Amino acid sequence: MTMTAFLETYGFLIVSMLLGALLGLSVYLPLMAGQLSLASPGFYALGGYIAAILSTQVFPVTEGSFPLLELLLEMLLAAIAAAVLAIALGIPVLRLRGIYLAIATIAFVEILRVLALNLEITGGAVGIFGIPQPFQSQIGYLWIVVPLLGLSMVFLYRLESMHVGRVLRAIREDELAADTMGINPTHYKLLSFVLGAVLAGVVGAISAHFLNTWNARQGTFDASIVYLAFVLSGGSRTFVGPVVGGIVLTALPEILRGMAGISGLPIWLAQFLQDGRLIIFGLLIVMSTVFLPPRGNYTRTVTTMAMAKAAARQRETRETREGSD
Amino acid sequence: MFKRRFISQILVSLFTFALVVACTQPNPSNSSVTPSSEGSTTSRNAVAIPIGVAVAQTSNVSLLGQEQVIGAKIAEQVFNQKGGVNGTPIKLIFQDTAGDEQGAINAFNTLISQSKVVGIVGPTLSQQAFGADPVAERAKVPVLAPSNTAKGIPQIGDYIARVSAPVAVVAPNAIEAALKTNPQIKNVAVFFAQNDAFSKSETGTFQKTVQDKALNLVTVQKFQTTDTDFQTQVTNAMNLKPDLIIISGLAADGGNLVKQLRDLGYKGLIIGGNGLNTSNILPVCKQACDGVLIAQAYSPEHPGDLNKTFRDVYKTQNKKEPPQFSAQAFTGIQVFVEALTALDNKTKLNTLSLEQLRTELNKQILSAKYDTPLGQISFDSEGEIQQSQFYVAQIKMDADGQNGRFEFLK
Repeated sequence: MTMTAFLETYGFLIVSMLLGALLGLSVYLPLMAGQLSLASPGFYALGGYIAAILSTQVFPVTEGSFPLLELLLEMLLAAIAAAVLAIALGIPVLRLRGIYLAIATIAFVEILRVLALNLEITGGAVGIFGIPQPFQSQIGYLWIVVPLLGLSMVFLYRLESMHVGRVLRAIREDELAADTMGINPTHYKLLSFVLGAVLAGVVGAISAHFLNTWNARQGTFDASIVYLAFVLSGGSRTFVGPVVGGIVLTALPEILRGMAGISGLPIWLAQFLQDGRLIIFGLLIVMSTVFLPPRGNYTRTVTTMAMAKAAARQRETRETREGSD
Repeated sequence: MFKRRFISQILVSLFTFALVVACTQPNPSNSSVTPSSEGSTTSRNAVAIPIGVAVAQTSNVSLLGQEQVIGAKIAEQVFNQKGGVNGTPIKLIFQDTAGDEQGAINAFNTLISQSKVVGIVGPTLSQQAFGADPVAERAKVPVLAPSNTAKGIPQIGDYIARVSAPVAVVAPNAIEAALKTNPQIKNVAVFFAQNDAFSKSETGTFQKTVQDKALNLVTVQKFQTTDTDFQTQVTNAMNLKPDLIIISGLAADGGNLVKQLRDLGYKGLIIGGNGLNTSNILPVCKQACDGVLIAQAYSPEHPGDLNKTFRDVYKTQNKKEPPQFSAQAFTGIQVFVEALTALDNKTKLNTLSLEQLRTELNKQILSAKYDTPLGQISFDSEGEIQQSQFYVAQIKMDADGQNGRFEFLK
């Protein structure tokens, strides 16, 4: 297969895989502070609607391609809207923990979905269509998605080795212990939640153009579970996990489609590969939770205390350094 | 701990690599089956002409998609027996779109670049069409939508046409039939599933028709396709004493709604939308289904040899009358076959490159008339179907309430 034919067939999939990686990161960010938030699809849907409405109703119609600058503006506005909403939502909701936080965020996603169905501007169940394209082909979206993923990964890499990263890890391991070490958990939990929301909103704005259409079926509860699976199967301890998970799990159904087309395969196997992708999805999640278990409580507390101490020490040094300047 | 993490990541990447390798394997074998692409003018006679069918074979839309698969397969069988395209057989290539936009786009991409189809019949849902059709438009591949009825589908582009009449044309027929049955009708209550794109656009048409006919629209009640309890909506509507109720929803919820309307004592006429246009609602509302009116774009009793052949094959295979979705998918394939034949008569297909073939085929599709199981059809310049005949069917249940059928009103 020539390179062009490969890109034509799989261009859409390659971009989808990278978008999947970004969405995995948006779930991973709150998880860095131990917050199991399923709100990402809500912000993703919000970003998509902002881009869809702006590009079809607000911006003037242009001949040829949709200006790249306007796409960047949409991404910026989506980021701002997601941040504002995340702060407003995060302050009350982040008081909840574990499964209760997950439920509250599911409710948020559901509220947004019902709103989108009932508002005129979002086009109800039909949604918004005819969204203009900034690139000639779908593979062109790599010009936006690759830098975004690269920047996000560099940002997370830095974040994890910085003071804030250590604090987030300390909160994840034991919030109470971290609190006793003088960390303000609410502040940092909100920070990671908002960062995740901003990322999801920006990805939504890109996706609306990428999919040509946007409707209330984008970013629903089902999507929450898929994004969570990205993180769980890739691993939730470093940012590489969600990236790998997002890429692999987005590609998986299409790879199975390709495999089902291999000649000489028994029909039942081909059928299973085509139709059984959700079973394989589920198996992967179960396997990853079995084979990547969290560490025991005792060691966890100890490491947390140590980490929190290290974080506090780092902050002290920094403050003294800043003081002496 | 670091070691284990490292190993697990290596494992995941190996897994990915293996899958990617596995997935690129089928291509050489595929390309030997499909006709040679651009430039090459070698004889194509021995090779079947590939036509893509991208419908929802899995997911919650699969009930419709599977009916479409049956219709398309019958068309492949019938037309190949008749000699295909001037002696060259056609070959349908099926790709599952599932129920979402991403799936539809992936299926379209695979059909266009890998299977090198001359045209595509699909996808199942209008929302999917808004996502995937622009992809075909950019690749200049003709698409015939077998079941997209929302406003704006043919307007997506030059290469997009549909054989499914839009709701705005089909739905009003049911109201006319209801008025014929009972000219006293005054107060109309409308119900619709607000989370379903089709129901949402259909209810708009119904409401407009009600107003055009100078009837009194007493209430509009919303529900979700996932609902099972409609008592609130039914009670609200019943208080306003309607003598006609119009429902736009899908099979399960629509059926339950009909049942609860009858259970709570509603005696007047009920019109069901296209989502209820399947025998799958009969087991849901049982005896209460009796008398529900549904507008049809297809009647199994339509005269004509081709419809008779289609109906006979369908009945032998499935032991029941063919539904509208199968007939529309059949029609989609038929239009491709007849357009290819007409084109072949003008210019031999094997002298055209794939790109030329797709473009010429698209022009040919839009310019001709077709005598199909749906009746006489043609397309306007945008690709919108021009269909002359519509029907209204009424559900008739047997006395035991278990079995029933759609009876076509004259």
